Amino acid sequence: MSAVAAPSVYSGGASVIAVGVLLAEFGMFRQALLRDQVRLYAAQSGLISALAVLVAAARQLPELYVLAALSAGLKVVIVPIVLRRLLRGLGHGGDGAQQDQAAHGWTEIAGSGSLSLASTILLAIAVAAFGFFSVGALRIASPVLPPTALAISVSVALVAFVLMIMRRDVASQAIGFLSLENGISLAALVVAAGMPLILEVAFLFDLLVAVVVFELLIRLHHGRAESLSTADLTSLRG
Amino acid sequence: MLAVIAALLAAPFAAALVSLRARAAAARAVTAITGVGSFGLVLALVPAASRGEVRYLDYLRVDAISVVFLLATSFLYAAVAVYSLGYLAHSRRDAGFSRYSRRFYAGLNLFAWSMLAAPMMSNLALLWIAVEVTTVISALLVAIEDTDGAAEAAWKYVLIASAGLGLALLATIFAYYAGAQVLGQHYNLSFGPLLQAGARLPHTPVRLAFGLAVLGFGTKMGLFPVHTWLPDAHSEAPTPVSALLSGSLLAVSFYAILRYYQVATAALGPRFPRDVLLVFGIASLLLAALYLIDQGDIKRLLAYSSMEHMGILAIGVSFGAPIALAGVLLHVLGHAAAKGNAFMGAGVLVQKFGSKRISRISGGLDLLPWSGPLFGVAVLALCAMPPFGIFRSEFEIVEGGFAASSNVAAAVLIVLVTLAFLGLSAMANRMLLMPRQTCHTAQGDGAAAAPVRGEPSGWMVVPVVAGVAALLVLGVHPPSELTALLTRAVHEMGVAA
Amino acid sequence: MSPNLPMPLIQVLQVMTVAVAAPGVSGVIARVEARLQGRTGPRVAQPYYDLAKLLRKEALAPEGASWVFLAAPLGAAACYLTVPLLIPVLTTFGLPLGYMGDILGGGFILSLASFLVAVAALDSGSPYAQLGASRAKTFAAITEPAVLFVIFVVALVTSTDLPYALAATVRSSSGQIAAPAHLLAAAALFMVILYETGRIPVETHTGTNEFGMIEEARPFEHSGPHLALLKWGSSMKQLILYTILLNVFVAPWGLAATPRAAAVGLAIIALLGKAAAAGTVVAVIDNSFAKLRLFKITEFAAAAFLLAVLGVFTLYLGGG
Repeated sequence: MSAVAAPSVYSGGASVIAVGVLLAEFGMFRQALLRDQVRLYAAQSGLISALAVLVAAARQLPELYVLAALSAGLKVVIVPIVLRRLLRGLGHGGDGAQQDQAAHGWTEIAGSGSLSLASTILLAIAVAAFGFFSVGALRIASPVLPPTALAISVSVALVAFVLMIMRRDVASQAIGFLSLENGISLAALVVAAGMPLILEVAFLFDLLVAVVVFELLIRLHHGRAESLSTADLTSLRG
Repeated sequence: MLAVIAALLAAPFAAALVSLRARAAAARAVTAITGVGSFGLVLALVPAASRGEVRYLDYLRVDAISVVFLLATSFLYAAVAVYSLGYLAHSRRDAGFSRYSRRFYAGLNLFAWSMLAAPMMSNLALLWIAVEVTTVISALLVAIEDTDGAAEAAWKYVLIASAGLGLALLATIFAYYAGAQVLGQHYNLSFGPLLQAGARLPHTPVRLAFGLAVLGFGTKMGLFPVHTWLPDAHSEAPTPVSALLSGSLLAVSFYAILRYYQVATAALGPRFPRDVLLVFGIASLLLAALYLIDQGDIKRLLAYSSMEHMGILAIGVSFGAPIALAGVLLHVLGHAAAKGNAFMGAGVLVQKFGSKRISRISGGLDLLPWSGPLFGVAVLALCAMPPFGIFRSEFEIVEGGFAASSNVAAAVLIVLVTLAFLGLSAMANRMLLMPRQTCHTAQGDGAAAAPVRGEPSGWMVVPVVAGVAALLVLGVHPPSELTALLTRAVHEMGVAA
Repeated sequence: MSPNLPMPLIQVLQVMTVAVAAPGVSGVIARVEARLQGRTGPRVAQPYYDLAKLLRKEALAPEGASWVFLAAPLGAAACYLTVPLLIPVLTTFGLPLGYMGDILGGGFILSLASFLVAVAALDSGSPYAQLGASRAKTFAAITEPAVLFVIFVVALVTSTDLPYALAATVRSSSGQIAAPAHLLAAAALFMVILYETGRIPVETHTGTNEFGMIEEARPFEHSGPHLALLKWGSSMKQLILYTILLNVFVAPWGLAATPRAAAVGLAIIALLGKAAAAGTVVAVIDNSFAKLRLFKITEFAAAAFLLAVLGVFTLYLGGG
């Protein structure tokens, strides 16, 4: 095996941020409180915006500054606020009788996954490895970032799928979906940094619309089931 | 032509806004008029599209393939809009009806608007956004009924479909990457230039984009293994919405896959895209055929039938012969009409008998002098009985299969379609032909619940009759304009434009 | 000009530095931790006094314990004295006996020492000792692969698995520090060190908390000189692990490039300083976090494993 050459500072730094995004994704498995999941999502989005700024500075793509600002504004500020408002609002309602702890949405403990945490992480590592190496084998060269970043972004997407499957309550599943979008926007940053700004903005706007609809449906679910758990969503079969 | 397209885009959106504000009666009327009007507008587009593509404003692009899908959507929009006049009538005195009907009609119009907009988009990014908008609106429509099942189905639907569209977004990004290699970094994902540059595109990104597109948009189309939301959403939604979901939304997702298929064929040659579609098509068809046997819920039955037909579409494209492609496009039209009819008839049955369970519905032919036989005709049409349109389209697909020497696949197709026929017709038989047992009423339903003979509403019959007429026309003698349109569309699919 | 020291002398100095300084490092950590808590704390040299006191005491063995119980501390100490021969403690170049084993060999010997102590704990028949030994080995099932993956990172970057080579690579270019593989491997190794030395968040080093003890429980039944050897051995293990982390991954500067006496002396001081700094960081972590519940330690170990695996991944595809 030949020795691997040391990367340039830019390449190394960008890879570190990309790995940070992947670590944040793994971190979501660990978070027990919904509040912490939302914060971790905000941190992950912040990392991606930071990477966009880095790419814009190093590769002279001024459009990316605007994109970084918009995506930070949307995903670090607005979406977490929307989620926080939704979850806080769920704790209210009902008569003055004692509500159990789980009904206070903001500090609600996320539904436990179907596997233990360590096993889930091992499964997620295997899935991430599959995504990482299969994309890496395709040797898609990116003009702005090292190819590791593309492989990492696909790993983030796949781990987000595992997250959505393993979680047992609607809010965690929604946040898992949002982190999936994060992984895909990271891939867009690697491979499509030159895409016309209007299209990227349209994607962001679309994400906001999706978040609003998710919020409506979560409210609906909570209204019917008095909890965020999906354990009872088993009536439709066959 | 620009006026026609602009009207097509503006009218349903305006109707949605009107429905939000106006009284229920006005909303109903506006929706029905917009629906029928849209169908007329699309018919006006047919001659122009048969001659060549129509491009406007950098964002709109209408060619023959688009018009085929626009025809399917607008026909169903018209049918469903008229059907709703009668469908909501029975709950008019329920509490909260005006709010429900306002939301229903606004949602219906918006849903139709988004599905009409999608085939007219000129670049892949806008196409993805349009499909995402359809997901969002239809999820709200699925949840509009106030039942546990609807809430569960809506959540499952929106989560799985959005995740699938996330994959489709990744496909769009890789398509951009492939295009940017040839067309420069400021390539805006427009479809025409990408197709023209087809042979020069790098292979790996296009392969990746196509695979992800089939998986991602296939989630919305109901391909195995990402179909799991389909039976739930289609059965829990109100009937007009189910008809639109099955007949139009699946078709629009298929349209997106077709666009990626065009690019992939231009760049990679026919082998790889066809193999991918064949695998997914056969898997979907097999699963649907198996689930159709001994299904207990009438709308789930029809949902699995939709999955079956989507599998047939995928297999048809994978055959690749021109006649198979013509059959595929004709099948889109025929399926829209037949599935719409079937759902509309099912809606009448459900309203009449008060339950979606097949075991509680019997004696349909006796109790519903119009809808009963029409439902039977619709089911037979779905099973590809001559002289209806689906027989012609499936025949062309199979013929194309033999012409392309995909004999085994064609044989498998025939066997599985027969299996599906068994399931569908057995259930339809149980619902329509079996006489009403007296023991049903003895179970304590009481005389008040025993259904009386008669149609709930004439408005629910008229669209079905129109649908049957359309099927007959498609099957016996398609009009020459339609044939010209289909020929042009096949030409576009086979050759890089 | 200071004289050149002969190689064997430097080799012996390596071992002596680790052996002599190890209890001191423990003392520094204890004092810093007490200071952070607002207490005066024990004197830095306290562990030496403790070892001297233990050496004077009588050695007892439980009934039914065999010779393993008495021999294990000696074996463990011998292992801990061997490992400093293999790792870059004082010099940047390999010393004569340094090629006896590579970093994998060093890892094996450390595991051997841990194994001996565990076997002695089992031999003692005491429930607490056996509990500690079994827990330690259970969690080691996840931490050992993490260490292996860290070694793989070393191997992939330098195409050898000599720790000297990786230290040289890191010194050669500043970009290497920023490489994600490097950072991930260092972080994973740090988490494993927290586990191996029995620190928060794995177990509390101060006081006896029988229900949570892992490393601390294993020498429960030993007494007198044997206990002194075990305590000294565990503080040596701590210093060895710190040395690997610091001199190979995090801060490989200050090592002697030539065998001159002044350079070697400077290296000794640098090593002690770096170890004290690392100890301070560990003390700060001790005061900042709570101990994990026992079944959550698997999550901790899984996180270390995750970091190590990701470190290997990012080395592929030119991520550095």
